[in-house]
Amino acid sequence: MTLIRLSRACATLLLCAGFCPTAVAHNPMCECKEIPGEQIQCTGGFSDGSGAPGVTLDVIGYDETILVPGKLGADSTLTFKKPSAEFYVLFDAGPGHVVEIDQADIPSQ
Amino acid sequence: MSKVAAATPSPLRAVWLKWRFHLNVLLLLVPLGFMPKYLADAALFRGDSGIGERVAGEVQVGPWSLTLAEFRNEGPRPDPAGPMKFFNAALCANCAEQVKATYLRIGKPRSLRAAGVIFFGTPYRMGALLPVPERTPADAELWVTMEGWDGTMHQGSIALSQASPATIAWLNKQGVKP
Repeated sequence: MTLIRLSRACATLLLCAGFCPTAVAHNPMCECKEIPGEQIQCTGGFSDGSGAPGVTLDVIGYDETILVPGKLGADSTLTFKKPSAEFYVLFDAGPGHVVEIDQADIPSQ
Repeated sequence: MSKVAAATPSPLRAVWLKWRFHLNVLLLLVPLGFMPKYLADAALFRGDSGIGERVAGEVQVGPWSLTLAEFRNEGPRPDPAGPMKFFNAALCANCAEQVKATYLRIGKPRSLRAAGVIFFGTPYRMGALLPVPERTPADAELWVTMEGWDGTMHQGSIALSQASPATIAWLNKQGVKP
């Protein structure tokens, strides 16, 4: 009986250790892809699985002019026409919480 | 009284039956094996063993400077947002009150908005989780951007090979990505 109790106590302890609250990081994430019609679709979110509706996503030229100022929609995506000038996409969830995607890193369809 | 005679166990089984309970003492010895790692981790988290497992050196950033260290002397760890490497830093003694924010990035930042990840924590021990793209070249530089309360901005850099040889080893092991 004692052995059974001991086993149960050990199992409970192990379970508690497994489910103890750990710091879950939520790093910003952003992916862009080219879609038909010379358009680019970007999806933002965080590494804890949450979406990023309303978060700023700007398309910025290499000369630092903002070509497309935007915010992600309710589905955490933003679609814009591919600029003719060289550009990069900046997913900006606040200072130090940014993701940069260069145009060279956007896979074509 | 039972009339069934108890079978006499063999001598070996008798020893087992008599002493098996005392095996639980071994359970007390198991945690002892983990103690050195536990104590080393506790010292690292408390800061007793310094700001990180490996101090990379001093980075001069305009009039200010900071001591950069690898929290763990190892390559980047996998994360849903890509491989991540944790760096710790301490501001210089006389700039702690002047610096508003410190950022870290692989490669020279295009602007203050894109200065990279921000350091969290006190000026004496702050940390930043840096994304390391798999196609990072081995000769890449780590750029530190510091923003002062007076509105000034300064930048400085340190070679990634100096900041984290473990990350360079990890990149070499990954191979060059297109």
